[in-house]
Amino acid sequence: MSVTTWGWLILAFPLAGSILIGLLYRVLPAKAAGAIGTLAIAAAFACSIAALLAMLGDPAEEREYANTLYDYAGAAGIPFELGIFVDQLSIFMALVVTGVSMLIHLYSFAYMGGDAGYRRFFSYLNFFVFSMLLLVLAGNYVLLIVGWAFVGYASYALISFWYRRKTATAAGMKAFVINVIGDIGLVFAAILLIKELGVSDYTSVFEKAPEAFTTNEWTIVAICLLLMVGAFAKSAQVPFHTWLADAMEGPTPVSALIHAATMVTAGVYLIGRSYPLFNLAPTAADIAAFIGLATLLMAATIALVVTDLKRIIAFSTMSQIGYMIVGVSIGAYSAGFFHLMTHAFFKALLFMAAGSIISAMAAIQDIDRMRGFRKAMPFTCAVLICGALALAGFPGTAGFFSKDEILSFAAVRGGMYWIFAVGGYLGAILTAFYSFRIVFRVVYGEPCEEAKELEGGHIHHAAPVNPATGETEDYEVGFPAEEHHIAEREWPMKIAMSILAFGALFGGLIQIPGVTDVLGHFLEPVFESSPIASTVHVSTTDAYIGMTVGGLCSLLGIGAAFYMYMVAPGSTLRLRDRFRGVHDFLFNRWYFDELIDAAIYKPVVACGRFANDTFERVVVNGLVRGTSGGVSGAGQIVKTAQSGFVRFYALLVIGGLAAVGLYFLLVAS
Amino acid sequence: MLTWIVFIPVAVGLIGFLLPSRIVGWWALLGTLVSLGLAISLVAGFDSSGGLQEVVDESWIPQLGVRFQLGVDGLSLFLVLLTSLLWTATVLWSALQYPDRPRNYFFMLGLAQTATLGAFLAQDLLLFVLFFDLMLIPFYFLIGQWGTGDRVRATIKMIIYTLIGSLLMLVAAIATAVLSADSVGGLTFSIEILRQVPLPTGSQYWIFAFFSLAFLVKMPAFLVHGWVADAYKACPLPVLVLLGGVLSKVAAYGFLRIVMPLFPDAAIQFQDLLLIAGVVSILYGSAMAFTQTDVRLIVAYSSIAQMGFITIGIFSLSGSGGDGAVIQMVNHGLVVAPVFLIIAILAERSGTEDVREMGGMARNAPVLAVLFVIVAMALLAIPGSANFVGEFFILKGVFETDVAIALIASIGIALAAFYSLRMYQRTMHNREAAPGVSREIALREAVVVVPLVLCIVGLALYPGLITTRGENAVDRSLAAVNPDPQPAPEAAAAADRGWTGYAPVAEGSAP
Repeated sequence: MSVTTWGWLILAFPLAGSILIGLLYRVLPAKAAGAIGTLAIAAAFACSIAALLAMLGDPAEEREYANTLYDYAGAAGIPFELGIFVDQLSIFMALVVTGVSMLIHLYSFAYMGGDAGYRRFFSYLNFFVFSMLLLVLAGNYVLLIVGWAFVGYASYALISFWYRRKTATAAGMKAFVINVIGDIGLVFAAILLIKELGVSDYTSVFEKAPEAFTTNEWTIVAICLLLMVGAFAKSAQVPFHTWLADAMEGPTPVSALIHAATMVTAGVYLIGRSYPLFNLAPTAADIAAFIGLATLLMAATIALVVTDLKRIIAFSTMSQIGYMIVGVSIGAYSAGFFHLMTHAFFKALLFMAAGSIISAMAAIQDIDRMRGFRKAMPFTCAVLICGALALAGFPGTAGFFSKDEILSFAAVRGGMYWIFAVGGYLGAILTAFYSFRIVFRVVYGEPCEEAKELEGGHIHHAAPVNPATGETEDYEVGFPAEEHHIAEREWPMKIAMSILAFGALFGGLIQIPGVTDVLGHFLEPVFESSPIASTVHVSTTDAYIGMTVGGLCSLLGIGAAFYMYMVAPGSTLRLRDRFRGVHDFLFNRWYFDELIDAAIYKPVVACGRFANDTFERVVVNGLVRGTSGGVSGAGQIVKTAQSGFVRFYALLVIGGLAAVGLYFLLVAS
Repeated sequence: MLTWIVFIPVAVGLIGFLLPSRIVGWWALLGTLVSLGLAISLVAGFDSSGGLQEVVDESWIPQLGVRFQLGVDGLSLFLVLLTSLLWTATVLWSALQYPDRPRNYFFMLGLAQTATLGAFLAQDLLLFVLFFDLMLIPFYFLIGQWGTGDRVRATIKMIIYTLIGSLLMLVAAIATAVLSADSVGGLTFSIEILRQVPLPTGSQYWIFAFFSLAFLVKMPAFLVHGWVADAYKACPLPVLVLLGGVLSKVAAYGFLRIVMPLFPDAAIQFQDLLLIAGVVSILYGSAMAFTQTDVRLIVAYSSIAQMGFITIGIFSLSGSGGDGAVIQMVNHGLVVAPVFLIIAILAERSGTEDVREMGGMARNAPVLAVLFVIVAMALLAIPGSANFVGEFFILKGVFETDVAIALIASIGIALAAFYSLRMYQRTMHNREAAPGVSREIALREAVVVVPLVLCIVGLALYPGLITTRGENAVDRSLAAVNPDPQPAPEAAAAADRGWTGYAPVAEGSAP
């Protein structure tokens, strides 16, 4: 079969799974729904591998395949076709997405057990994977927007999964609306591309763009900035990042899949995919890189102080995506995507471990309450440490190789790009610190009550209360299921986490500088026309210098965390009291939510209120009163006269119509 | 065939008076199904490269030059189908609910359908005006007699507003014919003939203003929307499907059918004004929908915003804007209909239409929730829906005409996401519903709502169904105003041989 046939099949399985589970929700036993969902993704993964193998049969330069199903809505010179485009980049993304999704489905199969919405969950999850695959396989910018928005919807549905919770529905709404703003950016980017070039499919756009635009011409800069709006809304970069922390209201597997491993990396994919456009607009690319750097550092500082386990990991996600954005914006394409892959492994793993711990804590997420799970949950703690090591960039782990590849590229490119290397290493220290903050607080220390209870062989249970509001809830749709599942007792969770832990520890070995270059070599033809990639070469020596620095940063951060949490516990409290202002500033996430609330949400609501209370009543209804007054006097007379008038008019028209109708009949004979 | 399509509904309504009241609803349903069948065959037999088709041209009032001219082209094709579809839905819904005085009720529905289809198909200016005014009467009775709440006030407001518009339009239509009489050689109301010799600019301006005001009131647009809130509140929900879904489209359609071809200079002159009116409608409607607590009013104000989009699409005076407007008219009707029916379902269960007191409906009603979420997503024009295609085309057209307007209009998209989701969440989610309130959609409700939602999904899979058939007609409609005409080759050829294929009415000739 041809590569594109496999491509369509990759899309077909998750969609079919989602629809099948949705239609059969009444008759399917819960576990069957989970099995169908997981198998559908496994089938998509198998198809991705088949497509890869089919692709590898062709010479490296000819690995681009496009196929159109039908003309979706072409008219008025707007090309709009339902077509896919498969090349090394999209197949790489498809492999990462289906592979990680498969494991997360497997994890959810056990983790979500007992939840009242079990079938619904798998239907949504399959739909998400379909949307994400549509996003990466779409053959043109307009279809990309469709996948883009479907992903946004799936994310909304899953964040609001426990829809009885007001905090969850509000978080879903926030995520959705911010994503729609991103969609609008993409829509205008597509409109400008179509207006200037008359085409929307990738191949033609990239062919025509260099002829149509001069470097840094305002049009192409505007297009790239608009693409960035879309990319940053999806990838939770400043200033569109506020939704991601709230998105942690969703079930933990959702956080792992959507808000860490796949969806949020869509922005990286978009910038990487559109690199010929960004090469024509270096200004836009530089802005993107700076925003990536700003997000990287800001999120890392917030992750230092937040106490909610899932939110720490969420801010860490933002920060890590900042690295990827920096990578693909400065020209380190394959490094950026390498980091995307390794991040998917270790971040999904961290969330899975966090989910297991949260289960043991009976849905409490505050790390201040957690302590000493070492003995109670040896497996979970082991994989948590694996994930934290990779995130911290501990020498030899996956995160170590991928992060350093980006940063040494920045250093070698030189000039102002040094800033990204310096900022990146600074971020690496913070990252190492907060990742081991989690480890030292959760794994080590004197066991907390819940951990002791678990050591005694019993999982802690608590009354269902929304941790965010303290509101009493119910198990049905407002609270994780009555039974909790921890990795120690569920083989599907264990398998999924073990595989990811392996990836987090050893996934970097495919890209050891001077030794292996599997991914870089595979992706090279995609980016070969980039002037940056062809001029900047990171020598093996440079790479090892970078890795030494990175390794030291990592050890420094881990060491600092060890000192503060293990050697001198309580020192963080003193620091907090000493720098109260800084702590509050960070803890409140730099007050971004308040800023947006005051600058956008409140004014719109105020406008609506004003329109409703004042304008509608005074002006619009005043107009009616004025009009009716003008028609026939005022007051009570108006009413009677009006209704009489209306009846008369009605009779006149009916009678008149009947008369002309008759006339017509007579004449037309 | 068009004559049949137009007059079957009212004939069915009349025959209904002779039938026992128990079965009159089913008889009316049969009538609408026949109309629907005819409309489908119309679409099936439509030649997307041809011009006006299925032309009916009979002498009617020769002394005044009024002819009974009907015809269908890409502008009206899917509006006819939409009309037939939504009337079928409303009649089926009503037949299952057994309204009071069913004979009168279904006769009024039939009369309304005849008037609406007539307005969409009329190719004679006076005939259009007559059908346009005729629409008002059945709706006056439907709201006044079967409505709820303060229906007297509502109907009076509606009548005052639309009547003023109608009278202005009547004057304008007559003036158009009289003023052109000399140049076209005799009094005629035929749109095709009138468009060939545009009026002098000065006359165009005021006639344009009269027509536009009538259409903007009907749409409704900002500042002349005063009748909407009361009428929507008082209107019975199945009838609201028609009022919100179809009637507003007649106005937007009027711009494309009449204003653009007949008053091109005025359209160019007042383009900015209408663009601003459209964009203000978008912002105002969205901001209002944002803060309403009455579910119906959320939809009512969102309709103002959506019609604003259609207005700016038309007045971008570009091919893609016009194409977008045509598909968006159908989309909006198709989306609003199930929304109102779902509101009817929700209101029936929770006993209120105030979102502050609703919520939690999804608990035992997953099918209803899925239907609602599909509709809500289409309403906010999620990419992948046909509504997105409409908005995309509109935005492209507007973007090329005026970037600022396009950017401001896009705020409406973000707000639409907010108010649609808000409506969905506040009714379906967020809390535990009172015992017994959350019930699954019943069969008698599902038979109406599910097919409509399937239509939305079907159209989302292939919006090209409409865009490919509408393209030619839009180009023709905008031929005189589009500063950058890019007519398709077939359209250019069709223009050479004259687009209707029948000769202009010569002086004193009678068939």
